[in-house]
Amino acid sequence: MLTLDQVYCGYDSEDVIRNVSFRVKEGDILCLLGPNGCGKTTLLKAIAGLLPYKGYLRWLGQEIHTLKRNQLAAGIALMSQISETYFEYSVYDTVMLGRYLHGKKGFLPSISDEDRVMVRKALEEVELWREREHPITQLSGGQLQRVFLARTFVQEPKLILLDEPTNHLDLKYQLELMERLSVWSKQPGRAVIGVFHDLNLAMQFAEKVIILDQGQVVLQGPTGQVLQDSMISKVFDVDVLNYMQSSLKKWLPPLEGNDSR
Amino acid sequence: MKNSSKLGGMITLSLLCFLAAACIGSVAIPAKEALAVIAQRLFGISLLRDVEPLTQTIVWDLRLARASLAFLVGASLAVSGTVMQSVLRNPLASSYTLGVSSGASLGAALIIISGFSLPIVGAFTLPLAGLLTGLLTVYLAVAMASRVDKGFSGNTIVLTGMVFTLFVNALLTLVAYFFPNRTRHILLWQMGSFALKDWGTVRVLLPIAIVGLLFLMRYARELDMLTFGEEQAAVMGVETRRVKWILMFLAAALTGSAVSFAGVIGFIDLISPHVVRRWVGAAHRWVLPLSALFGGSFMVLADIVARTVISPTELPVGAITALLGGPFFLYVYFQKRRRY
Repeated sequence: MLTLDQVYCGYDSEDVIRNVSFRVKEGDILCLLGPNGCGKTTLLKAIAGLLPYKGYLRWLGQEIHTLKRNQLAAGIALMSQISETYFEYSVYDTVMLGRYLHGKKGFLPSISDEDRVMVRKALEEVELWREREHPITQLSGGQLQRVFLARTFVQEPKLILLDEPTNHLDLKYQLELMERLSVWSKQPGRAVIGVFHDLNLAMQFAEKVIILDQGQVVLQGPTGQVLQDSMISKVFDVDVLNYMQSSLKKWLPPLEGNDSR
Repeated sequence: MKNSSKLGGMITLSLLCFLAAACIGSVAIPAKEALAVIAQRLFGISLLRDVEPLTQTIVWDLRLARASLAFLVGASLAVSGTVMQSVLRNPLASSYTLGVSSGASLGAALIIISGFSLPIVGAFTLPLAGLLTGLLTVYLAVAMASRVDKGFSGNTIVLTGMVFTLFVNALLTLVAYFFPNRTRHILLWQMGSFALKDWGTVRVLLPIAIVGLLFLMRYARELDMLTFGEEQAAVMGVETRRVKWILMFLAAALTGSAVSFAGVIGFIDLISPHVVRRWVGAAHRWVLPLSALFGGSFMVLADIVARTVISPTELPVGAITALLGGPFFLYVYFQKRRRY
């Protein structure tokens, strides 16, 4: 679906991403990992067509920069980190904006029954249907995150790009979101690329992991394999595997067979 | 209350403002006589037999022509302010921020000092020059912002607009300095007034306002998306750069044409969108028409006050909009938020 081959991109002619190559296939859940400032968000923006790039970045065989915004939005949706909201849109109206591409254009744009059904379904799934008339300026960070997730889903893209989507969510919604993404991505012609800081979530749900450091891919492959590699400790400057194991030991009760040891 | 009901209520309120404008003035005219004149002129229906010709002239040719112009100017400014605030994601932005009024004032001042008149447009030379120089100033400011900032961010546009405004104001000061005998004329034009305007002016401004509003309604969803930021709008399928140019041009054209005919009238463009958003939420399919109705009605009322409060002397309507609008805006804006 998506091919990156020797991609360079950044801001003000300074490359943040350097020589990045990988492929995303149908059904993939790909996790981008790396320390702060390594270029994860920049890479997502380039894939979403928001930044100019050098190299080859192809969506369904076509270079991203040759596609119009509506062609790109029909295939790729990006849920970026929550930005400040100034205006008091209702939850319902905010999610309805995700249907922009599917709606009729004209001097008095109308909302179809299909749009209404989609928005209702998405809001019920993120458990915000009862709050649909609330202004988004009065929502908590987690609720707002769920509103934007619902908006991303009603856009009906084929590839969802998520920039730290679990940041403001409590554990219940984190797990539900990841379960939902797993199910969603297994339908034909779909895939997910996400930036996650939580290695546990990455380990549990992502099938492939790419580790970025200083704008370059230092490791990529199946999740279990990559997260065991000694390189990951070097990149994060922490003994990640030991940290995760000690966390688990601390919180989980000892197994019965281990009592005798 | 549903937003459609609020729209209906606002239309009724606007019509009542017109009726008030027809009745109130140095000569008080009963509402039934004013209604009879309106019915006669608009629909050819004779409700009352003996309405004096003078009353008909006062109601139709003087007061309603003036109120219609005030309404169109107020509506254009309010809609323009709504668009600029949303496109630039700045609650204090307006077309004035981008230099429309400064540019229009400079153009008007040049016509005033030169006494130049175009052969075909005649008396409309001054507003036409004001409109064109106003639009040119905005174009230069936005084009400069577009060159220096590839991302075309709202903050860059506002900053460049402010720089252009200061620059053009400096030129205006120089014009006023070198032509002191015309300074009073320039100043009076800038203060804004609907005096001595007739249906001819309304006929010029009406199609501009209607076409502008209709085109902006066409972009209501794009405006909604732009309020969430350029990147979010782009990933949902909006050609943000092109749409921003179109929206800013339409908003500047509305303000420019309003300023050209009525002078620089502030505050309406700032307060109308905020008041309306408090009332109906932020969706532009409601905010745009309601801002137009609110801004128009508010301007009609401000003009009634301007021409009657120390009659027969008329006060500058721009001063009245700020004096009435300031406290009203504070009341609405800081009112307790709605509870859910």
